[in-house]
Amino acid sequence: MNPILICRDCDTVYRAIPLRRGDVALCRRCDAVLARYFAAEVESGLALVCAAAIFFAIANLTPILSIDIAGIETKANVWFAVRSLQHGWISVAALGLAFTTFFIPAVQLALLFWVLLFARFGHRPPCFGPIMRLLHRMRPWSMTEVFLLGALVAIVKLANWVPITAGAGIWAIAALTTVLALLGRCDPASWWSIAPAVKT
Amino acid sequence: MTRLRQSLELGLGLCRTCGLAVSRASLKVDRRCPRCRSRIEHRTPFSIEMTLAWLIAGVVFYVPANLLPVMHTSGLLGEADSTILGGILEFWRSGDWDIALLIFIASVAVPFTKFIAIGLLLLTVRKNSRWQQHQRTALYRIVEFIGYWSMLDVIVVALTAALMQFDVLGAAEPRAGIAFFCAVVVVTMLSALSFDPRLIWDRPA
Repeated sequence: MNPILICRDCDTVYRAIPLRRGDVALCRRCDAVLARYFAAEVESGLALVCAAAIFFAIANLTPILSIDIAGIETKANVWFAVRSLQHGWISVAALGLAFTTFFIPAVQLALLFWVLLFARFGHRPPCFGPIMRLLHRMRPWSMTEVFLLGALVAIVKLANWVPITAGAGIWAIAALTTVLALLGRCDPASWWSIAPAVKT
Repeated sequence: MTRLRQSLELGLGLCRTCGLAVSRASLKVDRRCPRCRSRIEHRTPFSIEMTLAWLIAGVVFYVPANLLPVMHTSGLLGEADSTILGGILEFWRSGDWDIALLIFIASVAVPFTKFIAIGLLLLTVRKNSRWQQHQRTALYRIVEFIGYWSMLDVIVVALTAALMQFDVLGAAEPRAGIAFFCAVVVVTMLSALSFDPRLIWDRPA
């Protein structure tokens, strides 16, 4: 644990005290979260990453929403949504959607898996520093939960006109959102604490 | 209660990437974080300039995002282009006030709040204002938190276009407005990420 904490939002310096389960340390001056209790349990972290990877696969392999009109069926999931935006130069929006709801969550999970797998066997993961920096950079751009809300809005929006049904994918997206939240939304700062525990 | 002190007074620096507190003496040799090798700066360089530049880009993109149609629908009831505001009004009229409200918040209220909030933060920081520092920091955190929810409309349009593929019975296609709207989300997020909230607490030298 860091013996000294510095507030990200107002630059105030604090001496750290040990936190217990459920504790959150707040900045006295600006109320920013300085630290949260976080047990860097590598094994449970690894289990959560595997669960997230399975949910991610289900969400992308099964339809999230589908419509059936007179035997003609259309389906949609993350990739179908991205593909539907490929329309001339509007494809830049497709690129934005692909990154925020597919590539970034996928890379986050892969990198976290890599880091935790090595930590599990007591090794310092190769490229630990660059990976953690990349994870930090990607964090604001991961939008799985927004996709979930978007899918729910689309159901309500289209239900007035067409018979729309939610597929297995929507449960997978909901589960993925929950697991990612449990992983600290892939907050790399929390996982730095595993570094001293693993050998270089 | 001891006096609260900032990092410079105590000869410390913060790595914004990994959160490590580093002594300034050790940074004299190498300005990188010993843990993650990121560059450590006392304050984010060109924070105000970058924030302002992205903010202006966001305001500029916001105009076509609202004026141009985001979706084109065709079917038995004829063809129509819909804008974001038009879509909200349609939901409102058809009685789905809850969805209308949700899309209104994500697509209109959130971007507007961001423009005004970031503008206010920039203005007060430029003036070295000591007004409501606590509340302004909270405002910055709100802007950071609400940022990406505006992507909602892009996702709804994309899913609608993916599903409505029934030719004569009903089809939907994306239109240029949605690309501008996506750009607004990205650019305003970059604006918020460029802002260094510690500037709110700095005193004029």
